[in-house]
Amino acid sequence: MKRLLSWLDHRTGFKNLLHEALYERVPGGARWRYVWGSTLVFTFVVQMITGIFLWMAYSPSAQTAWESVYFIQEHMTLGWLVRGMHHFAAQAMVVLLAFHLIQVIIDGAYRAPREVNFWLGLILMQIVLGLSLTGYLLPWDQKGYYATQVATKILGATPLVGQQLQTLVQGGPEYGHHTLTRFFAMHTGILPGLLVFFLVLHLAVFRRHGIHPKKLDHAPTTTFFPDQVLKDGVACLAVLAVVMLLAIFKGADLGAPANPAEAYSAARPEWYFLFLFQFLRFEEVEHYGLAFGAIYVPGLLMLIVVLMPIVGRWKAGHRFNVAFTWLMAIAIIGLTTLSFVTDARDEGFTLAVEEAERDAKRVKELAEGPNRIPVEGAASLLKTDPFTQGPRLFAKHCASCHRYNGHDGTGRMVYEQLKGKDGNPIEGDDGKPQQFVVRPTAVDLGNLGSRDWFRSLLLDYKRHFAEVKHSTWYRSNAAAREQHAKIAERLKKAKTAVGKGKPDPRQTGELRAISASLIELSKRIRGDALGQRLNRLQGDRGQLAKELADAEVARNSLQQQLSADVEVDQSLLKSLANKLAEKKKTLAAKDAEIKALRNEMQSPDLFKTSSGDPAVVDRQNSRIGEWLAMLFDPEASEMAAWYDDEEALKSLNSDKNKADFENLIEFLVAESGRDDLSADKAKAAKGKTVFKSGKLTAGSVGICTDCHDSWKETGDFTPSSRDFSYPDVTRVYSAKWLKSFISNPARTQFYGVKNRMPAYADRLSDRELDLLVRWLVRDYFPTRIPDHESKLDALQEGLKERPDAP
Amino acid sequence: MTDPTDASADPQTSDIPRRGFVTRALAGLVGAVAGLVPLVTGAAFFLDPLLRKKSAAGGNARKDSEGYINLRVTADALPSDGSPQLFKVYDDVVDAWNKFPNVEVGSVWLRRNDQGEVAAFSSICPHLGCAVDYRQSDRDFYCPCHTSAFDLDGDKKNEIPPRGMDALDVKVKDGNGIWIKYEKFRATIPEKVVI
Repeated sequence: MKRLLSWLDHRTGFKNLLHEALYERVPGGARWRYVWGSTLVFTFVVQMITGIFLWMAYSPSAQTAWESVYFIQEHMTLGWLVRGMHHFAAQAMVVLLAFHLIQVIIDGAYRAPREVNFWLGLILMQIVLGLSLTGYLLPWDQKGYYATQVATKILGATPLVGQQLQTLVQGGPEYGHHTLTRFFAMHTGILPGLLVFFLVLHLAVFRRHGIHPKKLDHAPTTTFFPDQVLKDGVACLAVLAVVMLLAIFKGADLGAPANPAEAYSAARPEWYFLFLFQFLRFEEVEHYGLAFGAIYVPGLLMLIVVLMPIVGRWKAGHRFNVAFTWLMAIAIIGLTTLSFVTDARDEGFTLAVEEAERDAKRVKELAEGPNRIPVEGAASLLKTDPFTQGPRLFAKHCASCHRYNGHDGTGRMVYEQLKGKDGNPIEGDDGKPQQFVVRPTAVDLGNLGSRDWFRSLLLDYKRHFAEVKHSTWYRSNAAAREQHAKIAERLKKAKTAVGKGKPDPRQTGELRAISASLIELSKRIRGDALGQRLNRLQGDRGQLAKELADAEVARNSLQQQLSADVEVDQSLLKSLANKLAEKKKTLAAKDAEIKALRNEMQSPDLFKTSSGDPAVVDRQNSRIGEWLAMLFDPEASEMAAWYDDEEALKSLNSDKNKADFENLIEFLVAESGRDDLSADKAKAAKGKTVFKSGKLTAGSVGICTDCHDSWKETGDFTPSSRDFSYPDVTRVYSAKWLKSFISNPARTQFYGVKNRMPAYADRLSDRELDLLVRWLVRDYFPTRIPDHESKLDALQEGLKERPDAP
Repeated sequence: MTDPTDASADPQTSDIPRRGFVTRALAGLVGAVAGLVPLVTGAAFFLDPLLRKKSAAGGNARKDSEGYINLRVTADALPSDGSPQLFKVYDDVVDAWNKFPNVEVGSVWLRRNDQGEVAAFSSICPHLGCAVDYRQSDRDFYCPCHTSAFDLDGDKKNEIPPRGMDALDVKVKDGNGIWIKYEKFRATIPEKVVI
């Protein structure tokens, strides 16, 4: 063995090198405070090793980056561990870097003759931070994407060359494929190369001057190996242990795939940049412009650090440097803590983080599905998932009136500020405007179509629709009813006074006055009714406009091909053009209808002139009475009357009819065809009999099909011929029914003239409507993620705190 | 055992030759060419995002002749009390070698202003590019990243953002359809510069 080594030494001279490396003198003895540099090298080596192995499985493109990281994390053997080590070693490196820098400054090891080495170290620090920044983007998840967007925008704020720098770094005017490829080249090629280069220089220059001991008499001078190496080794082992523990018990997380079009309110940089982030949240700082807070101030502080070797020539200078270092450390820790605390107290932020975590879980669930991840990338999985998009659509479009289990669909309560008597917002205990829970003005849809929903609808109709009574239109209608009741009283008195004969001039005057009031009232309510008709027409128009827009795009694409000299099927072009013209005509006709209606709304008088003839006034009065009766009022609707009948309610509630009632419920639930409700077919069949006949085991109730007579045994729901409706129960709360309903609830097969809900055909695309409805009927890939917890109790509590609470 | 070659004994390396200027010059020149050619080629390639001519987008089926996109929503759909609503903008996107037809490229806030007209704002915060939310409770626009706040006319309410929200050009076409010119603007600066 000895001979072999001796032969090798003669050829290569390795023994000398080894001796040089291992037996460096350590004056003052080996110390724990010297371990940081070695731990940094160790951590870097861990990064290189784990990095190279990750490199073998990672693919940097906008369609494959997240996807390949997901595969590493969830499927590859120990992929989660390799990635975990890489992730946490990166964090460890930043911490160790700070320790190393602080130790060097406190021990004065930056002073002559070690200035150049200090600067080399600072360069290494920049490279390590650059590695962190570039690495954070590579998974191409929401978190990394948005955090890096901020960083590149800050870069863009650099004076003079900022814009060009930003474009170069991004690989274009926007983030895209080239952003990833460039960041990847930086992260795996350029920066590690530079780091190795400067590290070699750093070590070489360090060895030239050796250790600078603070206390020479701390311990007898020793050699690097084995004493310092042991201490270094233990420290490295400790770092490794921490990294492994974090990797195993916490694990690197992977957010949902980056979606440039989806707002991400939980955007934060990695924790070691939070102090900078917090710094940019102070108005005092931002007042001077972004470049001030993000570039000049940090730049200045960096400059002070760079100048430390020069300042440190004087003893006072050294003290200043140490003080400055401690000050910076405290400031950075302080700002970071402030950032955590502020975020923890921010309800909006906490909810956004929860939502981000839900999305991350959901997309992984979907990726495990039978169709895996499509070629266009995993982002499309969430975009087409009703479980994800439904709540957001609900919050945006429905939560102005409805709630879902007390919240807006996404788990958030709906708040508003209220003005006090002085016209200023009412303040809470913290001096800020108090958030009051907004009163819902429509039914809570949390249990739509369920058995509980139908039970409530049939047995407790008034309470089921009680929220409606808080809406403006209801109150306005109630006021109109009151007014009408007063006028009717007055008319009764006037008619009694007239008796059977002809009215005298004074009585005629009174009748005319009553007539005039009726006309005023009629203007109001008819205007409202015409408004509802307009709503329905606009719903229809919205649908037509969508079809027209699609036809236009189809024709334009074809025409574009034509102008690009591509072979185009002329007959197809012609038919598209014809279709387009047809649709334009239909739309124009609808627009004309709307225009005519708007004209009518200018003068919504039900009657033209007031009259003194008691018969005429009587007719006017009853006409208005009819109109008012048609308006929706849960207290006075026919459905409410149906079971206001004491006998009917007793029948429904009695024990003998319990089974019949449950069967009826089962029938209604089965109409939706929802899988998740698992309607019992046998029970539903029995329930259908109750529905059609009203016969119970003991007694009977009103026959449902007497009013809901548009119900069809098979086939789809149909338009009703009446002016006002009893909603069609055919396939009620199925996806198809809901889609048609939400598009235009004023259709005669739904609420008809009683409707108060906007027609969404003109503000929801077909895609969105589909997602919303499928969420409501729970038609999506099964999930283990629980629903948002019910906020019904919080809603009730919050309503009590309103100043206008009854 | 032969000694390892002692390079320091070689006379050539200890004297710097006086003659051989041409050789030195040639050596430098050849080295420069050999070194610079790949570097300059690489540098030019690296500067591609700044140098490549953007091919004139040969018209877009989704945009009209003035570059407006159909939002497929009518002005009647906007709440009459001036509350803003967020609508998605769809367009074709070209990213290097891919074309993505009809994808979401961003969102806009639409509302009826005090004059009853339709006003549109980009949802991208002019501070550092996060997405601006609408706070119903405060009836203002609010960016959750660094707490920029704007009133409903888009004017900034605190000193965080460098300018107000970016208003977008709106056209209300035949029968109330809303079309907008979707543009993006540089963040961090007080001026509104189109990217």
